[in-house]
Amino acid sequence: MSERLRNQRLLALFAAGWALLNFPLLTLWDRAGTIAGIPLLPAALFAGWALLIGVAAWVAEAPGDDQAPH
Amino acid sequence: MLSTPLVLAASFAYLLTLFGVAHWADRRAQAGRSVIGNAWVYTLSMGVYCTAWTYFGSIGRAASSGLWFLPIYLGPTLAMLLAGSLLRKMIRIARSYRITSIADFIASRYGKSRTLAALVTVIALVGILPYVALQLKAIASGLTVLTGTQGGSGPWWSDSTLYIALALAGFTVAFGTRHLDTSERHEGMVAAIAFESVVKLLAFLALGVFVCWGLFDGPGDIFARAAAQPALKGLSGLGAESKFAGGQWFALTLLAMLSVIFLPRQFQVMVVENVDERHVQRATWAFPAYLLLINLFVLPIALGGLLHFGVGGADPETFVLSLPLANAQPALALVAFIGGLSAATGMVIVEAIAVSTMVSNDLVMPLLLRWQRGSERDLSVLPLAVRRTVIVALLLLGYLYFRIAGEAYALVSIGLISFAAVAQFAPVLLGGMYWKGGTRAGALAGLAAGFALWAWTLLLPSIAKSGWMDKEFVADGPFGIALLRPEQLLGLTGLDNLTHALLWSLLVNAALYVAVSLAREPSTREAAQAQLFVDVFRRAPAAGRATPVFWRGRARLAELQQLAARFLGAEAAQRLFADWARRRGIVSVQYIEPDAQLVEHVETQLAGAIGSGSAHAVVAAVVEEEPLAPGDILRMADEASQVRALNRQLEDLDRQKDDFMSSVTHELRTPLTSIRAFAELMRDDPDMQAEQRQQFLGLVVGEAERLSRLVNQVLDMAKIESGHAEWRNDEIDLRELIAHAVQTTAEVFRERGAVVCVQQPDAVPTLHADRDRLLQVLLNLLSNAAKFVPAGSGRVEVRLTADARGARVEVCDNGPGVTLDQQQLVFEKFRQGGDAANRPQGTGLGLPISRQIVEHFGGRMWLRSEPGQGACFGFELPWTRQQEETSA
Repeated sequence: MSERLRNQRLLALFAAGWALLNFPLLTLWDRAGTIAGIPLLPAALFAGWALLIGVAAWVAEAPGDDQAPH
Repeated sequence: MLSTPLVLAASFAYLLTLFGVAHWADRRAQAGRSVIGNAWVYTLSMGVYCTAWTYFGSIGRAASSGLWFLPIYLGPTLAMLLAGSLLRKMIRIARSYRITSIADFIASRYGKSRTLAALVTVIALVGILPYVALQLKAIASGLTVLTGTQGGSGPWWSDSTLYIALALAGFTVAFGTRHLDTSERHEGMVAAIAFESVVKLLAFLALGVFVCWGLFDGPGDIFARAAAQPALKGLSGLGAESKFAGGQWFALTLLAMLSVIFLPRQFQVMVVENVDERHVQRATWAFPAYLLLINLFVLPIALGGLLHFGVGGADPETFVLSLPLANAQPALALVAFIGGLSAATGMVIVEAIAVSTMVSNDLVMPLLLRWQRGSERDLSVLPLAVRRTVIVALLLLGYLYFRIAGEAYALVSIGLISFAAVAQFAPVLLGGMYWKGGTRAGALAGLAAGFALWAWTLLLPSIAKSGWMDKEFVADGPFGIALLRPEQLLGLTGLDNLTHALLWSLLVNAALYVAVSLAREPSTREAAQAQLFVDVFRRAPAAGRATPVFWRGRARLAELQQLAARFLGAEAAQRLFADWARRRGIVSVQYIEPDAQLVEHVETQLAGAIGSGSAHAVVAAVVEEEPLAPGDILRMADEASQVRALNRQLEDLDRQKDDFMSSVTHELRTPLTSIRAFAELMRDDPDMQAEQRQQFLGLVVGEAERLSRLVNQVLDMAKIESGHAEWRNDEIDLRELIAHAVQTTAEVFRERGAVVCVQQPDAVPTLHADRDRLLQVLLNLLSNAAKFVPAGSGRVEVRLTADARGARVEVCDNGPGVTLDQQQLVFEKFRQGGDAANRPQGTGLGLPISRQIVEHFGGRMWLRSEPGQGACFGFELPWTRQQEETSA
C-alpha cells in the first residue's frame, strides 16, 4: 500500500469518525435499553470508538511499499 | 486517613523514581542505546495529554453531566487519524529548520518574525499558566483528602505543594535543559513522561476495577442501581439536558482536536522530541487506544461514587481517593494519589520545558540581545541560564496563582479555557503549512484578534465569575452596552459560553488571517519561507543534502565565526566550521567560502540555541543581504528542483553503468572459461590425438575471435555513446551498399540453406553518411536474420524504399519471430533474442550499436514482429539530417 493511499484511508476514517461520534447520529443511541447491563448510549459510544481505533490500527499497520510520504 | 509524613514520603519517593528513570534513560542515550527510539515510548509520551484534569476532573464532569467528559478524548482520536499527513509534515518541517517550539514554528513560517513569536509566546503563557496552577491545586487537594488536613492553609513555607512544585522545577531544570541546542532531544525527560503515562493508566484502571468489582457487582450492577435513582438516571446518557446540545458536543470535539496538536506540551513530545517520523504510524491508533483505556472506568467510578456517598455527599473530583479511603483501602488510595501525581507532574514538566523555550527564545533573548548590542561578550551560557530561570519562575508563578485563586471558578474551568487559547494557533499554523499566500501581517492580525476575543468572551467572564470583577460586566456588558456582552457578543444567543467564544474567536481569527494576507503580495522572505514550509517534502534536505537557500548576499567568515562562538561557545563553534569544511571537502577552515549556504547553516545552528527569530536578527546584522525580487524566489526554487532532477538522472545513469559493467564481465567470462577449459585439456593430455587437438584449437580460436569481437563492440559502443566515435561521411548509394552486404553474407545464408531476395527501386538518391558504419548495420541485421531462419527453408527479404523525406530499409525473415515482451528488450545491451536454450552465438551488442548508428544519422530503427510470422527489422534515414549533431 502506498503512503498516499494509507493517508487517504485515514482521512476517510476521520470523516466517518466525525459523523459517527457526533451530532446527530449520536442521538440514535440515546434511548432506553442495555447491552450486557451497560446502557445503550455509553456502550455504543465506546464500541464505536473502539471500532474506529481498530480500523485505524489495521490501516496504519498494514505493510507499506514506501516509507516516505509524497 | 493516611498520615501526612507517609503520603509525602510516598510522593517524594515517586519523584525520586522519576529522577531515576530519567537519569537511566540519559545514560542509555549516552551509551548509544536510546530507550526512546521506539514507537511505543513515543505513543506513551503523548499520554501527557491526560493531566490531573483528566484524572480527577473527568469524574467530576461525569458526575454532573454524564458522557460530556468524552469529547475531550474523541477529538484527539480524530486528530490522530490526520496525523499521518499533518503531524509528519510538522515533524519534517521542525526537523529540517531546527524549530523547537510552536512560537518558533509560526514565526519562522511568516518570515522569522520576532513580533509574531512574541505574540504566540504571550498567548501560550497566558493560556497555560493557570493550567499549571490547576495541576498544583489537584496535588494539593489530593493531599487534603488523603491526610484529612487542609493543605495550603498554613504559612507558605509549611505547604507541601510548594515543595512538590520546587522538586518539579528541579527535575525540569535537570532533565529539560541539558543541551544548549533545544532541538536536541531530552531523552531522560521523554522516558520519564512515558513512565508516568504507564503509572497513571495502571493506577486509574486499578481503581476502576476496585470500584466495579470490589464495591459493586460489575459495571452492569452500577448502571442498574443508578437507573433506579431518578437523580442519577440521566447520567448514563448525555445528562440532564432535555435536548442534546449537538453544537456544544461538536465544539468540544473540535477544541480537543486542535489542542492535542497545538498545546505546547503536545508539540514538545509529538514534534520536537520525535525520534523517527515512522513512529507516528503506531501513535495513529495506539494513542487513541490509550485514551479509550483511561476513560473506560470514568462513568462507572462517577456513578459508583454518587451511589456510595449519595449526591452531594463528597466532592466527585476526589472520588478516586475518597472511595478507597471510605472502604478501608488506604494502600489503593495511595496508589490512586500517585497516579494523580504522575498525571499532574508529567504535564507540569513538559509544559515548563516547552513554555520556557518560548519565553527564553522569543521574549527574553530578544530583549537581552538588544541590551547587549555592540558587546562582544560570550553569550553562550546565557540561553541555558535564561531557560532555567524561566522554568523556576513559571512553577513559582503557577504556585502563586494557585494560592491566590484557590477555589475560584477560574481554576475549575481553566482546562477548557486553556484549550481555547491554544486553538487560536490553528488558522495561522495550518494555513501556513498548506497555503503559500499567508503573510506575517495576516498572521499577526488573525492571532491578535483571536486572542482578544478569547480574552473578552472567555477569560474575563471567568474572572468575573470568580468574584474579582464586577459581575454586571458579564450580565449587561461594559458600560451597559448590551451588544458587547462577553457571553452574547453582538446579541448572539443560544450557545453555551465555550461554543460561543470558540465560534467568535476562531471565525474572526481565520477571517482576518486570510483577509489581511490577501491584501498584498507576500514579501520575498515570506514567500521563501512559505516555499520551504508548504513544499517541505519536495524541498527539504534529505539526509546530507543541502537546504535550498533563498538568499543572496555577502558575509565575512571571521564575523560568522565570531558570532557562532558568541552564542554557541568557542568549542562548539569550532566544531561547526570544521564539520562544514569536512563536508565540503575543504582542507582548512580558513578557506571556507562564506556563501549563502554557510550563512544559512550558521543561522540554523543558532536557531537551535536562541530561536529562529533572534538567530535571524543576529546573523542579519553581520551579513550584507542583497534584496531579492519576488520572481527570484521562484527561480531559486526552480533551480533547486532542477538540481534535484539532474541528480536523479545521474543516479539513473550510474545504475545503468553498473548494469552494463556486470553484463560485460559476464559476457567476457563465458568465452574465457571455454578457452581456458580447452587449453587445460590439451595441456593435461600430451597424448591427445592430433585430430581432436585440432578441433579444440579451432574452438579456442573461435572463442578468442568472439572475445575480441565483443571487446571491439564494447569499445565501439562506448565511443559512440560518449560521442568520441569518428565518422567518415561521404555520399553513398544504398542500392550498392545493400548488394555489398548481401554478397558478404551470402556464404552464411548458403550454409543455412536460406534464400535472400532484394526488392528495391531502380534508383535512389545518394545519402550523406558513413559507409562503413551503415554496412555494419546492414550486416548485423542480415546475420541476425541468418541466425533465426529455419534451417533449409529460410527466406529473407531485404526491401529498400525511398520517398521525399528519406530512405527506408527493412530486413524480414520467416523465423520464429520475437514475442512482445522480448521486442522491448532486443535493442538493449546484452539482451539477445530467443530463449536461453537455443540462443545463437552473439554478443548482444549488435542491435544496440546499430540503433545508435542509425540514430546518429537522425534516423530511427524498429522491429515489427508477430510470433510465428517472422521478424522484420527496419530503419529509416533522412536525406539530410535535421540537426547537426554537436557532439560528433
